[in-house]
Amino acid sequence: MSDIVSIQILEAELLGLEFPPGEFTIAEWEHWLCADAIGSPPLPDDVAHPMYAYYTAIIGMHPSLDEIFAYAHSSADAGVMFGEAGLEFHQTLRVGATYRVEGGFTKVVRKESSRLGIMDLVTVELRMFSEDGELAAVSSNTFVYPRGAA
Amino acid sequence: MIEVGTQIPPFIVESVPTEPMKTMAFVLRDPNPIHWDESVVRSLGLGEKVINQGPTNQAYIINALINWLGDSTALRSMHVRFRGNVYAEERVEAGGEVTAVDLDASLATCDVWLDGPNGRVISGVAVVVIGS
Repeated sequence: MSDIVSIQILEAELLGLEFPPGEFTIAEWEHWLCADAIGSPPLPDDVAHPMYAYYTAIIGMHPSLDEIFAYAHSSADAGVMFGEAGLEFHQTLRVGATYRVEGGFTKVVRKESSRLGIMDLVTVELRMFSEDGELAAVSSNTFVYPRGAA
Repeated sequence: MIEVGTQIPPFIVESVPTEPMKTMAFVLRDPNPIHWDESVVRSLGLGEKVINQGPTNQAYIINALINWLGDSTALRSMHVRFRGNVYAEERVEAGGEVTAVDLDASLATCDVWLDGPNGRVISGVAVVVIGS
């Protein structure tokens, strides 16, 4: 008898679930560290690297990444991986600006691979709003949850 | 001039470093130990060395776009699929090619990618503003 969570339970628990809104300010020091870590070319003083559409979403959202893994009945040490990622820009993200982050789970798909066995692809869409309430960017991320053999 | 077939100059990382993986894990509150603990990578059967964060790999592609256009505000959208892992000390090369140009909207659509020693690890599509 498999103890892998059923796809029906995952769909019932995740789809339509909206996270409590979060907030994130792109601090200059933190932006410097991230830009350095990803090998960014020089940027204008107040312009955030475009990957901050992802970083702002992930750091600003509630729950945390660890809790996202737990929502889908997994944990960080189970080898959760990135499957797909989408970024959509409506404004240039600015260093020093604060963004409200909203979002939730939008898609759950179960697949089977010869190498990883059963795996679930869980998509989280996060929307960032600038201080004037306008949509600034959208980050859509699909995480791959290995479940082991069928 | 940007036209269909224009190649995006590559952004190359000669040896993917481990220290930035730790920085990103800490800043992002990313608790996944595959980014700093080789023993976990091995126990999961994923390889022998720590694994770079997927978004950092994606950032290498964005760096190629920024260098190409000389503009860090030109990216309008990007969708990528992560097809494999990038391990510490590997050489990776980000690149791309223009597949469509809309002169009225001043937009170019590009296939983009990141290649590692064992093939393509990211493929995707980016839309950028041109001629701004």
